[in-house]
Amino acid sequence: MPAAPFVTARFKDVAEATAASDGMPRERFTYIHHPVSNKPASECRKYIEGNDPLTGKPVVEEIVAALTKPLSEEEKKTGFVEKPRERLLKPDTAQNLERQFLENGWTDGLLISLPTEEKVSEMLKATSHKPDEIVGQMRPSPAQAPWKYTVEMVAVNAVMAGAKPKHFPAILALAATGQGSLPSSTSSMARMIVINGPLRNELKINMGIGALGPFDEANAVIGRAWTLITKNLGGGGKAGTTYLGTFGNNYNYNNLCFAEKEEALPSGWKPFHVQKGFKQEESVVSVFNGWTLLNYSAYNPDPYHELMRRQMVALEMSGAGAHHTPGVSIQTAGMLIIDPVTAKALEEEESFETKEKLSQWLTENVHFTMWNYWNAMPDYLKKAKEGVQPYASLLKRAPESDSPLQLFSPRAGVEIVVVGGETNPYWYAGDFRYLASASVDKWK
Amino acid sequence: MKKRIGWLALAVCLLACLIISCTQKPEQRMMTVLNPVGSPTPTPLIPMAPRLDTLEGKTIYIVDVMYPLTHQLFEEMQKVLSERYPKTNWVVKSKAGTYFDNDPKLWEEIKAKAQGMIIGVGH
Repeated sequence: MPAAPFVTARFKDVAEATAASDGMPRERFTYIHHPVSNKPASECRKYIEGNDPLTGKPVVEEIVAALTKPLSEEEKKTGFVEKPRERLLKPDTAQNLERQFLENGWTDGLLISLPTEEKVSEMLKATSHKPDEIVGQMRPSPAQAPWKYTVEMVAVNAVMAGAKPKHFPAILALAATGQGSLPSSTSSMARMIVINGPLRNELKINMGIGALGPFDEANAVIGRAWTLITKNLGGGGKAGTTYLGTFGNNYNYNNLCFAEKEEALPSGWKPFHVQKGFKQEESVVSVFNGWTLLNYSAYNPDPYHELMRRQMVALEMSGAGAHHTPGVSIQTAGMLIIDPVTAKALEEEESFETKEKLSQWLTENVHFTMWNYWNAMPDYLKKAKEGVQPYASLLKRAPESDSPLQLFSPRAGVEIVVVGGETNPYWYAGDFRYLASASVDKWK
Repeated sequence: MKKRIGWLALAVCLLACLIISCTQKPEQRMMTVLNPVGSPTPTPLIPMAPRLDTLEGKTIYIVDVMYPLTHQLFEEMQKVLSERYPKTNWVVKSKAGTYFDNDPKLWEEIKAKAQGMIIGVGH
């Protein structure tokens, strides 16, 4: 059936790249002015009656032509589109190669270690897997065809990130999750890596003071490698085409890579990987998606769980909390990164004997505020104004008071990880959602 | 004599190479590195569907993919197209769920009831 897609002009590159990736490089797009969201009907009508801002042709004519103009020979073509790949780059000086890597967007803007055969070969010695074995696949964006990559291709990017061979199995495990670190969303998402198991001590991954800061090699290079893999092996992170985050997210430099301080967990609190079904003695990487971390480093006398509840309400305005289609899929996920001092107090003084108990309490007790509830559920507001119960009685509640709607979906809940230097009873509250875990041991 | 000239030429060449390599700065030395970039899996080309010879008497669905607060655009498009092409039946439909979700039921409905589709993807 003939289809005429139309897209706002800001997204031309991503629309055409997506169509090409899906096997329709000649898709007949019509472009209209950007943005459309929340524009009045009269303005939208002007866009439709006006010209395509990119071609200068009338929008209606282009749409009609897309449906009725006979197909060209190019548009009827079948077969496969393949991009041949050379294993080695053309020999050049180090200075020129560094410039080539930078100018082609193969780095994160920082100096990389050039992936010579010697360095890559050394990296490959850290795994029992063959260089040509497929590790996994990533998509440049959810709508585009996947890219597959081998152990050697991951090793090349690990070298570039400054990783040592001892870091390589963890980097392979990250690549094996199939998750990229640079989601294409305009909302500038972040990713997070949490490492559990014996590997934490073997690699000296920071889980104490400054664990989320720029202090330790393992945290820096493992996290950085994920971003280079995403860009170079997953086809992601091309600004304007496969990456559209309006602001970008600084967390992506090392993707918040840290380890859980398992040794400091309260007795009933399980390590994160054990919560996800792995054995305690396994080394595991887990990845998360989110946007924001809110800091708590005050000395409020209220119980910590109550402070967390109040603080987490603010997440209704960040990330997925605000990024929803009114009336549909509006709940989000929560995360707490807790210093061991706080974790101990939550267990001993506030009766949260397990992470699960705290997670459940927060899931049940953090609610959207009324004003956002009405924004998110326009049909309920309409019913309320028509006097339909129970919505009508909710109109009496103050805009800033709790609504009946939980902020965190019971399916995603609130994930909890313990880390930090035990300097004070602090924590971060965030909107990160758990995505996946992978065994590192499998890649040794 | 010829043999002696041959040895001499070889010695000169070796000497030249040695001089060049000794005088070359480290930053000018050539090196080979591995390609860091992968490639997409081969993509099958999908031939586009035959186009309509006319819009007259046809039903065309205008599909709202449900990006937040953009439905008014689709309503206006339906009005403008109906004014200009009154012999065509222009039908506005909202896809189920958010713009992330598939809606196989709607695609089946379109196949059964329409001869063409306009789909809006945007912000």
